[in-house]
Amino acid sequence: MYGRGIYALRDVSLVVEKGEFVFLSGPSGAGKSTLLRLLLRQELPTEGSVKVAGRDLAKLTPSQAQTYRRAVGFVFQDFKLIATKTVLDNVGLVPRVLGATSVQQQRRTFQVLKWLGLQHRMNAYPLELSGGEQQRVAIARALVNEPALILADEPTGNLDPDLSLEIMNLFRDINARGTTVLVATHNRELMRHVGRRAVSLDHGHLVETS
Amino acid sequence: MTAHWLTYCLDEAIASLRRQRVSVLLSVLTIAAALLVLGGFLLVTVNLDRAVSRWSAAAEFSIYLADDISPEQRVALNTLLDGQPAVASREYISKADAALRFRRDFPDLAAGLADLAQNPLPASIDVRLDPAKADGAALETFAARVTAAGGVADVRFDRRWLERLGRIAAGVRWAGWILGAVLLAAAVLTVATVVRLALHARRDEVDIMQLMGAPIGLLRGPLVVEGILQGGAGALVSLGALYGGFLLARVRILAALGATPDAADLGFLPPGMSALVVVIGMAVGCAGGYLAARHVR
Repeated sequence: MYGRGIYALRDVSLVVEKGEFVFLSGPSGAGKSTLLRLLLRQELPTEGSVKVAGRDLAKLTPSQAQTYRRAVGFVFQDFKLIATKTVLDNVGLVPRVLGATSVQQQRRTFQVLKWLGLQHRMNAYPLELSGGEQQRVAIARALVNEPALILADEPTGNLDPDLSLEIMNLFRDINARGTTVLVATHNRELMRHVGRRAVSLDHGHLVETS
Repeated sequence: MTAHWLTYCLDEAIASLRRQRVSVLLSVLTIAAALLVLGGFLLVTVNLDRAVSRWSAAAEFSIYLADDISPEQRVALNTLLDGQPAVASREYISKADAALRFRRDFPDLAAGLADLAQNPLPASIDVRLDPAKADGAALETFAARVTAAGGVADVRFDRRWLERLGRIAAGVRWAGWILGAVLLAAAVLTVATVVRLALHARRDEVDIMQLMGAPIGLLRGPLVVEGILQGGAGALVSLGALYGGFLLARVRILAALGATPDAADLGFLPPGMSALVVVIGMAVGCAGGYLAARHVR
């Protein structure tokens, strides 16, 4: 709930099983991003609880919250790549800050970049890449730590239809490897193409599940 | 924190320092100015302490004898001096020897002395003390006994003014610490501001790292290291400037005194104290960096 009695999300009850692929749809302002921020523990619910793998996120200490986030990969609409770092450094930053050795860091980073077809662009800077490439780098960064859960907030919002389809296929492949995927999008065409469970939000209410 | 994380913090801090050279230069110069003031006071007091110590080692009693001192009084005085273990040696200076010394030390005034009908300079005994046995309170008592002895006109005791000089040196040192502390507090705020600017410049990066689950210590670490590097650089600049100033001042002081470098015995800060200045600089930088890093939560 925001101040003055305005609810961002209300009476939302949603269970996502391990290994599931779920679309979160709805118009702008419906509460999709808020739900993802709650799942990343960027925000805490004023009422109710958010549980991941049985743990109530509101009860985590700041240190435990950081440990939890290491098991979650996040993909943003605007990519949020560090402009001053190369593709290799952007993706390698995750294992680096999490204490991987230099050899582990290079191996993991190269593996994920190769899987996403970016190995030939690893020395490029974000601004030298196309929108699709930038989003793939962002997905590589989310994947490099082999998270159990991937959250994506409008990951195709800045991409043309062909690239959007390519990115969605990537998420489907990631899910096929056993990773739970939750994608917020308002693109019904893409949802139909991927054909997975969809949950719809409107003005903070869960109005439809298909 | 592992060595790997320390390397990460150092790499990020150096990259940040390179990105904002101008504001970092300002911060380094602020720390350098504060430490230069503190270092300057320390340098003065170190040399004062050294002079006091050197003069204390050569401290003398000068016992001026009355012209009419009797042989019995002279014997009693010698007995008194023999009984004091702090007396390392003594030399009797007759009135004629005193006049000779005066003419040698003050040739311009020698003619005036020759014009006098009789030699006004008193005979004296110069007593050299053994620093290892020269206990302050016992010597004060001894000086009082000598002053009260018969046939003694006056006693000049070097240690008294050396103690006063020592107290002045301590006062200068405290003034330096207090002024230095005020300036260093200002330097802490300058470092904090510059590091906060660096934090704003890489806010996106810090936010992304937070979302990736980077430990808080790792998010704050580069900022603290950046402060420490600024502090260390400021300290080195201040030591360089202080050494340059010391060399210039020494040339001028030696020229003014007409003394050789050995005679003046002027020295720079000893290595331990120089290291202390660097440690203080790094501590100031660390405090500034931490103040800025607290904004990362």
